[in-house]
Amino acid sequence: MYIYTQKRPVMAYISLREVCKVYPNGYCALKNINLDIEAGQFIAVLGPSGAGKSTLLRAMNALDPATQGEITIDGVTLNKKNYRKIRAHIGMVFQQFNLVDRLNVMTNVLVGRLAEHSWLSSLFYLFPKTDYQIAEAALREVDLLDKAWSRADKLSGGQQQRVGIARALAQQPKLILADEPIASLDPKASEEVLKLLRKICSEKGITIIINLHQVEYAKQYADRIIALNAGDLVFDGSPEQLTAAKQAEIYGTTAEEIYYEPELVLANA
Amino acid sequence: MSINTLPPKPLNLFPLWLSVILALLWLIIWDLGVDFKDLLYGVEDMTEYFSRYGTPNFSNMSSYLYLMVQTLVTAFWGTVLAFIMAATIAPYAARPLTPNAVAYRVARELLNFMRAMPDLLLALIFVSSMGLGPLPGVLALSVHTAGFLGKFFAENMERVPAGKYEALSAVGAGFTQKIVFAAWPSMLREAVGNTLYIFDRNVRMAAVLGLVGAGGIGLELHDALRLFKYNQASALIIIILITIVVIDNLSSWIRKVLN
Amino acid sequence: MNPSWYWPTPSGKPPLTAVLSIVLPIAVLILTASTVDMSYNKIFYALPRMLDFAKNLWVIPDWQYLPQLGTKMLETVEMTLLATMLAVIISMPLGILAAKNASPHPWIFRMTRDLLSFIRALPELVWALVFVSALGLGPLPGIMALALVTVGFMGKFIAESIEVVSAKAIEGLESTGCNKLQSILYAMLPQAVPDFIGSLLYILDHNLRAASILGLVGAGGIGYDMVMSMRLFNYERIGMIALSIYALVTLLDRLSDVFRQKAIGGILNVH
Repeated sequence: MYIYTQKRPVMAYISLREVCKVYPNGYCALKNINLDIEAGQFIAVLGPSGAGKSTLLRAMNALDPATQGEITIDGVTLNKKNYRKIRAHIGMVFQQFNLVDRLNVMTNVLVGRLAEHSWLSSLFYLFPKTDYQIAEAALREVDLLDKAWSRADKLSGGQQQRVGIARALAQQPKLILADEPIASLDPKASEEVLKLLRKICSEKGITIIINLHQVEYAKQYADRIIALNAGDLVFDGSPEQLTAAKQAEIYGTTAEEIYYEPELVLANA
Repeated sequence: MSINTLPPKPLNLFPLWLSVILALLWLIIWDLGVDFKDLLYGVEDMTEYFSRYGTPNFSNMSSYLYLMVQTLVTAFWGTVLAFIMAATIAPYAARPLTPNAVAYRVARELLNFMRAMPDLLLALIFVSSMGLGPLPGVLALSVHTAGFLGKFFAENMERVPAGKYEALSAVGAGFTQKIVFAAWPSMLREAVGNTLYIFDRNVRMAAVLGLVGAGGIGLELHDALRLFKYNQASALIIIILITIVVIDNLSSWIRKVLN
Repeated sequence: MNPSWYWPTPSGKPPLTAVLSIVLPIAVLILTASTVDMSYNKIFYALPRMLDFAKNLWVIPDWQYLPQLGTKMLETVEMTLLATMLAVIISMPLGILAAKNASPHPWIFRMTRDLLSFIRALPELVWALVFVSALGLGPLPGIMALALVTVGFMGKFIAESIEVVSAKAIEGLESTGCNKLQSILYAMLPQAVPDFIGSLLYILDHNLRAASILGLVGAGGIGYDMVMSMRLFNYERIGMIALSIYALVTLLDRLSDVFRQKAIGGILNVH
C-alpha cells in the first residue's frame, strides 16, 4: 500500500553502530546491530517473542541503555548525561499504554510537556496556556477531545492507547517509538491505532518505529521492515522484499530459543 | 460523537476541600487553645529537659527485666486468649459459614463492641473491679484484641473461595467440619500473620498498662517520671524500646519465613 | 471392639509442626501462669467483684455532667483530627524519602526507614508521659505524642503504598524525559491515593481510641475524666463516659467503612 522509497539517506536521522545489549543475567538481547534510519519513515520491526524488538526500541531512548556501541539520534549521541534531554523529544507508545490511571486524560497528555518545566511549577500541577493548546491539538489529532476530562482508567483500551499517542504528540517529537502498541487491543482498535500512527507519520513527517507481531499489518503500513531474531538483524528491506520464504526464515528457527521478554523481567523486578 | 472543541472543564472541588480542611484546622487550634509558639519559646528548655534523660541508670536492672518479662507474658496471654475467643466467634461473623442471620448480626455486633472499648479503659474497669495486678491487664488486652482478631478472621473466612465451602457442603459436612476442613487450612497463613500483628500491638500496650495498675513495666515508668527520676525513666524507656524493636523484627522474620 | 483412629498422614501420626505449634504455646502458658496471676482462686475471687461492679453501674446517670462530657468528647475528637492532620503533613515527605523507588539515594532510604521505625516503636502513652512531664498538663502534649507516633506509622504506610505503584505508569512518565520529582508527583502519588485513604482512615480510627485514653496521664481528652470518676467511684459518670466513647468509636468505624468503599471506588478524583 505504501511505497518504500529507494533513495539512500544522505545523512541518517538515527544511526546505530555495533549496538549490543547484555542483561545482568548474561542474556544477550542484541548482537552487534548496525542500522541507519532516515527521517519521516514508518518502520516496522518484526520478529518472534524474545528476539530483541523491545530491547532495540528501549535502547533508543535509553529506558534500557545499550551496554555497547553507539546510538546517534538527530546528531546527538546517547550518553549517560543526556538521557533525559533526548527522551524529551522522543515519544514512546507502550503495549500496556502506561498511563497514570487516576489522573484525567488532559493531565496524562500534559505529562508530555513536563520535561520542559522546572520542578517548582510541576509541584502544583500548573501548566502554561501554551501547553494546554499543544495538549488540545494532540487530543484533536487522536479524536479524543470529548474525553479530555474523564479519568484515564474509565476509557476503553483503544481510547487509552490513543491517549498514549496524544501524550507522545504533546512532546512535539521528531521520533515516536511504539512498542507493540496493538498487542493488547482488539482488531478494530488495532486498525484504528495503526491508521492514526501512519497518518501522523505521513502528515507531520514524524519518524515512527513500531514493533509488531502481525506481518500482514507490517506489509500494509510500513515503508521499511526490519526483522530481528535472537538479537541478530536478519532482514532489512521493503515490504515487497519480505517474501513468504523470508518470513519462514525469520520465524522458523526459533523453536529452540529460550522465551525471554525484557518487559516481564521489568514487571517482576 | 467526535467533537472539535474542548468540552468545558468540570469543576475542580479540590481547592474547596483544601480550604475547608484548613479552616477546620484553624478552628480546632483556636478552640483547644493550643499555642504552638509555646514550643518555640520552649526549645531551650526542651533541650535542657531532654538532657536530663542523658545518663540512664540501670542499677535496678534485675527488677526492670522482671517487669519487662511480666509485660511480655501479659501480652502473650492476652494474645492467646484473644485468639481463642476470636476463633470461636469468627465463623458466626463470616457470611459463608454463619448458621443464620441472627447469629451473624449478634457475632458482628459483639466483635464491634469488643473492638470499640479501648483496652486501657477496659483495664481501668477491670482493675477497679478485681484489684491491681497483671490479671486485669491480660483480660483487658484479650477482650479488646479479640474484637480485632475476630474481625480479621471473619474477613479471611469470607475471602476463601466459595467453591471450597460448596465442595464440603456437597459431601454433607456440617458447620464445624467446614470450619476445620475448609476455612482454617485456607486461611492459616493470613491468620498467623494477623495474630503476630496483634501480638506486636499487645506488647506495646502491655508496656503502658501499668499506668492504670494492670501490671508490667508501665507503672515503674510512671512512678519514675512522677518522682523526677529521669535517669531511671530513660533506662526504662531504653529497655521498652529494645524489647519492642526485637519483637517487631522477630515477628516480621516469622512472617517472611511463612511466606 | 477396638476402633482405631488415624491422622490423614502417611504415618498416621499428626505432623510434628502441628504438634509443636500447639504444645509449645501451651507449655509457655503453663510456665508463665503465675507471672500474670492466672489461677483459679484469683479468677473466682474476681468474678463476684466484677458482678458487683457491673451492678453498681446501673444507676441514674449524672445529667449535670452532660455539658462537660460533651466538651471533653469534642476535645478528644479535635485532638485526634489535629494530630492526624499534622502527622500527615509531616509524614508525606518522610514517606516519599522512605519509599525505595522514590528515594533519591539508598542511604537516605535506609536512614528514613530506621527513623520512622524508631519513632513508632514506643506507644503514644509513653511519649505522652514524657511530654506531659516536659510541657505540663493539657492537650498540647497529647497532640504532640499522637502526632509523633502517627508520623512513624503514616510515613511507613505512605512509603509502602508508593512502592507498590505499578512500574508501568512510572515508565510512561520517564519515557518523556521527566525528572524524579515529576515522576513522583505525576505517577507515584496519584496512583497511591486509594492506599493513602485506606491508611488515613485506619490511622484516624486508631488515633481516636488513643486520644480517648491519653487523659490517663493528663494529656487532654476524655480519659482524664474517666480515670477521676473511677478513683472517686463516681458510677453515675463511668457508664456515661464509657458509653459515649463506645458510641463515638463505633460511629467512626461505620463512617470509615462507608467512606472507604466510596472513596476508593473513584469519588476522589483529585485532578
